[in-house]
Amino acid sequence: MSTEVDDAELAAIFETDAMAYVDQLYGAAMRMTRNPADAEDLVQETYTKAFAAFRSFEQGTNLRAWLFRILRNTYINAYRKAQREPLSTSADELSDPQLLEVDARSTGGTRSAETEALERLGDTEIIEAMQALPEDFRTAVYLADVEGFSYKEIAEIMETPVGTVMSRVHRGRKSLRSLLAQYARDHEDSGGAR
Amino acid sequence: MSCGKPHATPCTEILATMSAYVDGELGAEQFQVIAVHISECAPCESEEVLQRQVKALVVRAVGSSSAPATLRARIRATIYSSGTGN
Repeated sequence: MSTEVDDAELAAIFETDAMAYVDQLYGAAMRMTRNPADAEDLVQETYTKAFAAFRSFEQGTNLRAWLFRILRNTYINAYRKAQREPLSTSADELSDPQLLEVDARSTGGTRSAETEALERLGDTEIIEAMQALPEDFRTAVYLADVEGFSYKEIAEIMETPVGTVMSRVHRGRKSLRSLLAQYARDHEDSGGAR
Repeated sequence: MSCGKPHATPCTEILATMSAYVDGELGAEQFQVIAVHISECAPCESEEVLQRQVKALVVRAVGSSSAPATLRARIRATIYSSGTGN
Protein backbone atom coordinates (compact mmCIF):
# COMPACT_ATOMS: atom_id res chain seq x y z
CA MET A 1 0.00 0.00 0.00
CA SER A 2 1.50 3.31 -0.97
CA THR A 3 1.10 6.07 1.52
CA GLU A 4 -1.12 8.74 0.09
CA VAL A 5 0.60 12.07 0.15
CA ASP A 6 -1.40 15.08 -0.88
CA ASP A 7 -0.06 17.71 -3.25
CA ALA A 8 0.82 20.13 -0.49
CA GLU A 9 2.85 17.53 1.40
CA LEU A 10 4.57 16.42 -1.76
CA ALA A 11 5.46 20.01 -2.60
CA ALA A 12 6.85 20.45 0.91
CA ILE A 13 9.05 17.36 0.52
CA PHE A 14 10.19 18.59 -2.87
CA GLU A 15 11.01 21.98 -1.42
CA THR A 16 13.14 20.51 1.38
CA ASP A 17 14.82 17.68 -0.48
CA ALA A 18 15.03 18.55 -4.16
CA MET A 19 15.51 22.29 -3.97
CA ALA A 20 18.67 21.67 -1.95
CA TYR A 21 20.46 20.69 -5.18
CA VAL A 22 19.89 23.85 -7.22
CA ASP A 23 23.52 24.99 -6.90
CA GLN A 24 24.93 21.61 -7.86
CA LEU A 25 22.61 21.22 -10.82
CA TYR A 26 23.37 24.75 -11.94
CA GLY A 27 27.11 24.01 -11.78
CA ALA A 28 26.64 20.93 -13.94
CA ALA A 29 24.35 22.85 -16.31
CA MET A 30 27.00 25.55 -16.67
CA ARG A 31 29.55 22.93 -17.66
CA MET A 32 27.15 21.52 -20.22
CA THR A 33 25.77 24.69 -21.79
CA ARG A 34 28.75 26.98 -21.09
CA ASN A 35 26.39 29.90 -20.80
CA PRO A 36 24.58 31.25 -17.70
CA ALA A 37 21.25 31.96 -19.40
CA ASP A 38 21.07 28.48 -20.96
CA ALA A 39 22.20 26.91 -17.70
CA GLU A 40 19.35 28.64 -15.86
CA ASP A 41 16.83 27.49 -18.45
CA LEU A 42 18.17 23.95 -18.25
CA VAL A 43 17.93 23.82 -14.46
CA GLN A 44 14.48 25.38 -14.57
CA GLU A 45 13.29 22.76 -17.06
CA THR A 46 14.89 19.99 -15.02
CA TYR A 47 13.01 21.07 -11.91
CA THR A 48 9.77 21.41 -13.79
CA LYS A 49 10.10 17.84 -15.06
CA ALA A 50 11.27 16.56 -11.70
CA PHE A 51 8.33 18.14 -9.91
CA ALA A 52 5.87 16.74 -12.42
CA ALA A 53 7.35 13.26 -11.95
CA PHE A 54 8.00 13.57 -8.23
CA ARG A 55 5.04 11.43 -7.25
CA SER A 56 6.62 8.51 -9.07
CA PHE A 57 10.00 9.08 -7.45
CA GLU A 58 10.57 6.42 -4.83
CA GLN A 59 11.24 8.34 -1.63
CA GLY A 60 14.38 7.21 0.12
CA THR A 61 16.20 6.30 -3.10
CA ASN A 62 18.92 8.45 -4.59
CA LEU A 63 17.30 11.83 -5.24
CA ARG A 64 20.52 13.59 -6.24
CA ALA A 65 21.31 10.96 -8.90
CA TRP A 66 17.69 11.06 -10.08
CA LEU A 67 17.85 14.84 -10.54
CA PHE A 68 21.17 14.64 -12.38
CA ARG A 69 19.72 12.02 -14.69
CA ILE A 70 16.80 14.28 -15.55
CA LEU A 71 19.23 17.16 -16.07
CA ARG A 72 21.40 15.17 -18.44
CA ASN A 73 18.48 13.78 -20.43
CA THR A 74 16.96 17.23 -20.73
CA TYR A 75 20.26 18.59 -21.93
CA ILE A 76 20.75 15.82 -24.47
CA ASN A 77 17.21 16.05 -25.80
CA ALA A 78 16.75 19.77 -25.96
CA TYR A 79 19.98 21.67 -25.83
CA ARG A 80 22.56 19.59 -27.54
CA LYS A 81 20.28 19.09 -30.51
CA ALA A 82 19.88 22.82 -30.88
CA GLN A 83 23.55 23.60 -30.74
CA ARG A 84 25.48 24.10 -33.91
CA GLU A 85 28.16 21.85 -32.51
CA PRO A 86 27.76 18.53 -34.28
CA LEU A 87 27.09 15.55 -32.08
CA SER A 88 30.54 14.33 -31.28
CA THR A 89 31.25 10.69 -31.86
CA SER A 90 30.23 8.81 -28.80
CA ALA A 91 33.33 8.34 -26.73
CA ASP A 92 32.80 4.62 -26.57
CA GLU A 93 33.20 4.44 -30.31
CA LEU A 94 36.71 5.80 -30.22
CA SER A 95 39.01 2.92 -30.90
CA ASP A 96 41.48 1.95 -28.26
CA PRO A 97 44.49 2.36 -30.56
CA GLN A 98 43.63 6.06 -30.83
CA LEU A 99 43.64 6.41 -27.10
CA LEU A 100 46.60 4.16 -26.54
CA GLU A 101 48.65 6.17 -28.96
CA VAL A 102 47.79 9.29 -27.03
CA ASP A 103 48.71 7.53 -23.83
CA ALA A 104 52.10 6.41 -25.12
CA ARG A 105 52.88 9.94 -26.17
CA SER A 106 51.86 11.50 -22.90
CA THR A 107 53.98 9.09 -20.92
CA GLY A 108 56.98 9.54 -23.18
CA GLY A 109 58.73 11.87 -20.77
CA THR A 110 59.39 11.09 -17.18
CA ARG A 111 56.33 11.29 -15.01
CA SER A 112 57.79 13.78 -12.56
CA ALA A 113 58.31 16.11 -15.52
CA GLU A 114 54.66 15.60 -16.40
CA THR A 115 53.67 16.40 -12.82
CA GLU A 116 55.62 19.63 -12.92
CA ALA A 117 54.15 20.57 -16.26
CA LEU A 118 50.62 19.93 -15.00
CA GLU A 119 51.29 22.11 -11.97
CA ARG A 120 51.95 25.07 -14.22
CA LEU A 121 48.63 24.87 -16.05
CA GLY A 122 45.90 27.35 -15.23
CA ASP A 123 42.25 26.64 -14.57
CA THR A 124 41.18 27.93 -17.97
CA GLU A 125 43.37 25.35 -19.69
CA ILE A 126 41.96 22.56 -17.57
CA ILE A 127 38.42 23.68 -18.40
CA GLU A 128 39.31 23.96 -22.08
CA ALA A 129 40.69 20.43 -22.03
CA MET A 130 37.57 19.15 -20.28
CA GLN A 131 35.41 20.78 -22.95
CA ALA A 132 37.48 19.12 -25.65
CA LEU A 133 36.61 15.66 -24.36
CA PRO A 134 33.76 13.71 -25.94
CA GLU A 135 30.58 14.35 -23.95
CA ASP A 136 30.39 10.82 -22.50
CA PHE A 137 33.93 11.04 -21.16
CA ARG A 138 33.54 14.58 -19.88
CA THR A 139 30.33 13.79 -18.04
CA ALA A 140 31.73 10.64 -16.42
CA VAL A 141 34.87 12.45 -15.24
CA TYR A 142 32.86 15.47 -14.08
CA LEU A 143 30.38 13.39 -12.10
CA ALA A 144 33.16 11.35 -10.48
CA ASP A 145 35.62 14.11 -9.70
CA VAL A 146 33.60 17.24 -9.15
CA GLU A 147 30.30 15.84 -7.90
CA GLY A 148 31.85 12.87 -6.12
CA PHE A 149 29.31 10.37 -7.44
CA SER A 150 30.16 6.67 -7.21
CA TYR A 151 30.42 4.68 -10.44
CA LYS A 152 27.12 3.03 -9.53
CA GLU A 153 25.41 6.41 -9.28
CA ILE A 154 27.01 7.59 -12.52
CA ALA A 155 25.74 4.42 -14.17
CA GLU A 156 22.25 5.38 -13.02
CA ILE A 157 22.60 8.95 -14.26
CA MET A 158 24.09 8.01 -17.63
CA GLU A 159 21.85 4.94 -17.94
CA THR A 160 24.73 2.66 -18.77
CA PRO A 161 26.43 -0.33 -17.07
CA VAL A 162 28.98 0.29 -14.30
CA GLY A 163 31.70 -1.28 -16.46
CA THR A 164 31.07 1.34 -19.13
CA VAL A 165 31.32 4.10 -16.52
CA MET A 166 34.65 2.72 -15.35
CA SER A 167 35.91 2.70 -18.90
CA ARG A 168 34.66 6.24 -19.60
CA VAL A 169 36.26 7.65 -16.47
CA HIS A 170 39.51 5.85 -17.20
CA ARG A 171 39.70 6.82 -20.84
CA GLY A 172 38.43 10.32 -20.10
CA ARG A 173 41.22 10.98 -17.64
CA LYS A 174 43.72 9.51 -20.04
CA SER A 175 42.60 11.80 -22.85
CA LEU A 176 42.52 14.74 -20.47
CA ARG A 177 46.09 14.06 -19.47
CA SER A 178 47.33 13.90 -23.01
CA LEU A 179 45.54 17.16 -23.84
CA LEU A 180 47.05 18.82 -20.79
CA ALA A 181 50.49 17.50 -21.65
CA GLN A 182 50.04 19.01 -25.08
CA TYR A 183 49.02 22.39 -23.63
CA ALA A 184 52.06 22.26 -21.36
CA ARG A 185 54.32 21.61 -24.34
CA ASP A 186 52.73 24.48 -26.25
CA HIS A 187 53.54 26.70 -23.28
CA GLU A 188 57.19 25.79 -23.46
CA ASP A 189 57.29 26.26 -27.22
CA SER A 190 55.88 29.74 -26.87
CA GLY A 191 58.65 30.68 -24.49
CA GLY A 192 56.82 29.97 -21.26
CA ALA A 193 58.62 29.11 -18.05
CA ARG A 194 60.75 26.06 -18.18
CA MET B 1 55.85 1.17 -18.63
CA SER B 2 57.32 -1.41 -16.28
CA CYS B 3 60.09 -1.19 -13.77
CA GLY B 4 61.42 -4.47 -15.16
CA LYS B 5 60.95 -6.43 -11.98
CA PRO B 6 58.52 -9.33 -11.92
CA HIS B 7 55.19 -8.66 -10.19
CA ALA B 8 52.39 -10.93 -9.07
CA THR B 9 50.08 -8.85 -11.28
CA PRO B 10 51.35 -7.37 -14.55
CA CYS B 11 51.63 -3.57 -14.73
CA THR B 12 49.17 -3.44 -17.64
CA GLU B 13 46.45 -4.90 -15.42
CA ILE B 14 47.29 -2.48 -12.63
CA LEU B 15 47.21 0.51 -14.97
CA ALA B 16 43.88 -0.57 -16.43
CA THR B 17 42.22 -0.36 -13.00
CA MET B 18 44.09 2.70 -11.74
CA SER B 19 41.15 5.08 -12.18
CA ALA B 20 38.88 2.81 -10.21
CA TYR B 21 41.61 2.53 -7.59
CA VAL B 22 42.01 6.29 -7.07
CA ASP B 23 38.23 6.69 -7.10
CA GLY B 24 37.89 4.19 -4.26
CA GLU B 25 35.78 1.92 -6.45
CA LEU B 26 37.58 -1.38 -5.93
CA GLY B 27 36.69 -4.14 -3.51
CA ALA B 28 39.04 -4.82 -0.61
CA GLU B 29 40.82 -7.67 -2.34
CA GLN B 30 41.50 -5.88 -5.62
CA PHE B 31 42.43 -2.74 -3.73
CA GLN B 32 45.04 -4.68 -1.78
CA VAL B 33 46.53 -6.17 -4.95
CA ILE B 34 47.07 -2.71 -6.40
CA ALA B 35 48.31 -1.20 -3.14
CA VAL B 36 50.97 -3.91 -2.85
CA HIS B 37 51.96 -3.58 -6.49
CA ILE B 38 52.31 0.19 -6.20
CA SER B 39 54.52 -0.15 -3.16
CA GLU B 40 56.90 -2.29 -5.22
CA CYS B 41 56.72 -0.58 -8.61
CA ALA B 42 57.87 3.02 -9.06
CA PRO B 43 56.34 3.58 -12.54
CA CYS B 44 52.93 2.41 -11.38
CA GLU B 45 53.25 4.55 -8.27
CA SER B 46 53.97 7.61 -10.45
CA GLU B 47 50.92 6.73 -12.47
CA GLU B 48 48.82 6.76 -9.31
CA VAL B 49 50.25 10.15 -8.29
CA LEU B 50 49.45 11.56 -11.75
CA GLN B 51 45.90 10.23 -11.71
CA ARG B 52 45.29 11.86 -8.35
CA GLN B 53 46.84 15.05 -9.61
CA VAL B 54 44.60 15.21 -12.68
CA LYS B 55 41.58 14.52 -10.47
CA ALA B 56 42.60 17.35 -8.12
CA LEU B 57 43.19 19.72 -11.04
CA VAL B 58 39.70 19.08 -12.38
CA VAL B 59 38.19 19.77 -8.98
CA ARG B 60 40.23 22.95 -8.60
CA ALA B 61 39.44 24.26 -12.08
CA VAL B 62 35.81 23.33 -12.36
CA GLY B 63 35.03 23.89 -8.71
CA SER B 64 31.52 24.52 -7.53
CA SER B 65 29.14 27.18 -8.77
CA SER B 66 26.38 29.03 -7.03
CA ALA B 67 23.15 29.47 -8.86
CA PRO B 68 21.96 33.07 -9.23
CA ALA B 69 19.63 34.00 -6.37
CA THR B 70 16.80 34.63 -8.79
CA LEU B 71 16.87 31.09 -10.17
CA ARG B 72 15.28 29.50 -7.10
CA ALA B 73 12.47 32.01 -7.14
CA ARG B 74 11.97 31.40 -10.84
CA ILE B 75 11.78 27.63 -10.34
CA ARG B 76 9.34 27.98 -7.46
CA ALA B 77 7.14 30.34 -9.42
CA THR B 78 6.90 27.83 -12.27
CA ILE B 79 6.47 24.56 -10.45
CA TYR B 80 4.14 25.58 -7.69
CA SER B 81 1.78 27.31 -10.07
CA SER B 82 1.00 23.92 -11.60
CA GLY B 83 0.08 20.81 -9.66
CA THR B 84 2.18 17.65 -9.43
CA GLY B 85 1.65 14.95 -11.95
CA ASN B 86 0.28 17.30 -14.57
